[in-house]
Amino acid sequence: MMHKGLLQQNWKQIKLVVWILLVIFVLHMPLQAALSIETWNERVEQAEQSEEYVYEVQAWEVQQIFSEGLFSFFAAFTIAFLAAVLIGLERNTRRNDFTFSLPFSRKQLFLSKWLLGSGTIALFFLINFFPAYWIISQSEFSYALTTVTWIEIFWGPLFGYVFFFTFCLFVGTMTGEMISQMILSFILAFLPQIMLILIQELMRVHDLLYYLVSSHPRWVDYLTPFYYAIGELGEIAGLLLSILFTAAALFGGIVLYEHNKLEYNGEFLIFKSLTVPFLVMITVIISLFGGLVVSSLAPWGADALRIISYWIGFCTFLLFAVLILKRITAMNVKFSGKAI
Amino acid sequence: MKVKHLSKKIHRNYILEDINFHVEPGSITGVVGRNGAGKTTLLRTMAGILIPSRGDVSIDGRSIFQHPEMKAATAFVPDSSEALKNFSTDEIKRLYQSLYPRFDPSYFDRLMDRFGLEKRKKIGHYSKGMKALFGLITAFSTNASYILLDEPTDGLDVIVKKQVMQLLIEEASESNVSIILSSHRLDELEMMANDIILLRHGRVESHYELDKLKERYKKLQVVFEETMPAALEASVHILDQTGRVYTILVPESDPAVIEQIHNSGPLLYEELAMTLEDYFVARLGGDTYDA
Repeated sequence: MMHKGLLQQNWKQIKLVVWILLVIFVLHMPLQAALSIETWNERVEQAEQSEEYVYEVQAWEVQQIFSEGLFSFFAAFTIAFLAAVLIGLERNTRRNDFTFSLPFSRKQLFLSKWLLGSGTIALFFLINFFPAYWIISQSEFSYALTTVTWIEIFWGPLFGYVFFFTFCLFVGTMTGEMISQMILSFILAFLPQIMLILIQELMRVHDLLYYLVSSHPRWVDYLTPFYYAIGELGEIAGLLLSILFTAAALFGGIVLYEHNKLEYNGEFLIFKSLTVPFLVMITVIISLFGGLVVSSLAPWGADALRIISYWIGFCTFLLFAVLILKRITAMNVKFSGKAI
Repeated sequence: MKVKHLSKKIHRNYILEDINFHVEPGSITGVVGRNGAGKTTLLRTMAGILIPSRGDVSIDGRSIFQHPEMKAATAFVPDSSEALKNFSTDEIKRLYQSLYPRFDPSYFDRLMDRFGLEKRKKIGHYSKGMKALFGLITAFSTNASYILLDEPTDGLDVIVKKQVMQLLIEEASESNVSIILSSHRLDELEMMANDIILLRHGRVESHYELDKLKERYKKLQVVFEETMPAALEASVHILDQTGRVYTILVPESDPAVIEQIHNSGPLLYEELAMTLEDYFVARLGGDTYDA
């Protein structure tokens, strides 16, 4: 499964991205831990000057170091890019022909990519987590570690990153090249949240059964892959679902990779049967977004005007979406291509 | 290696349709056809890169699609070496050693020395000719039984071209390697190939041993007093006409046509050496090759 030659070949491809990921994890955890201690010291000193105020490190501040915050966003973007280099970039170039002519099954090819990517992510996470944890535990703020659970700061983000990588790799088995893989990875990674916001706005503007979706149901978060990578689901349900979804994305990725039609490399999607559903989905999202944007310009009290402006925005963005997507589906992005 | 009922559909069009042939050990098989005939698609499918819409490619009776490990017996050299351009020569040697169980590193070194290829930190730094030679060296060092080459001499200067052709002929005759190559250079194929597969609109138009193929037609230069008789025009392939001078192909199997030419009292009747290009033009039509 993890053949040395495949490992060597894939490693050469992803080397640069992997080092970027390592730097992000170093900044995210050990460095941020060291700097946070200094910040906390400063706050303690400031608190000491005030008689009524005692400073205590909060759980969210610890979570920022291990699972949340700006660096977890950077890590998630880099992980998506890593998956795009492993699958999408290979499709843009002639490397795909070389890889698929090798004496390995497609399942082996896919699994070697997954193992290398997820192994690297897990390794980098571990070698940065423990020094960061040690830095805090050796400081006077060691009590702060008791404010969080291991699921929140260790198991949740570790499996969350691995799931997000697997998910992006899975998307790569459907797309024809790197750019479409990145675009679709992020659209699908946020899709449940995007759809919730857009549908809520549609219902609110039309005053249509709005009470049904007016809250923010937790299950929508569970269905949002990006949330797993930014530490939003550090709880037992989130952890179990990340493992379950990783297994599902891995299995789905293998099946689709085995059936990949490489003749469509460079095009938006590898499977032509998926083109229509994807186009409809993206067109609807863009159109609903257009409705949301334009209706927000109308005064809050003017209900009729809001509905009219909603549909003006919807139709305008629909037109743009159709024109843009028409071009995107006709594209063929190959850095060194040859037809037949 | 057997190609059985191979069809490939891309964008609702059949690029290959019901292709059947087999490759003998130690042979050089040339795949020819006009641009878009499906040559590269055929080679990519034979290398296991593309999944056929129908049919199969098998080695020793085992399908390369069901048993991908059989692809260790094949090495595919595309028309561009961009795939591994960031690897150094040593890295590629190690990579191939690990990917192909029968890779022979000492043979690789010998071939590198023989063709004067120096080690580089990136093979992307090699010239086009050097890259082509390097691709062949790695492919032959795998000790694969079947080497698939897509336009191996495309864009190379005459010196490198000669080296490439020499290497191909040597490997086929000495190591019993089978070489399947696509090329537009019919004159080169004529010097190397034993078998010729002519593709037309994704189908095998003809598959012959080169010597037998040449025996199928007689190439003549004929000069008539006026123009060629209309009855005769229908029975021959006119390769070229300059005034009253005709260069024609006549099927060997039809002596009546030769008799007809003699009966029409030509001013000149001369037999010329038949080339693969003549056959190609006769079968696919037109004076120029490129579509």
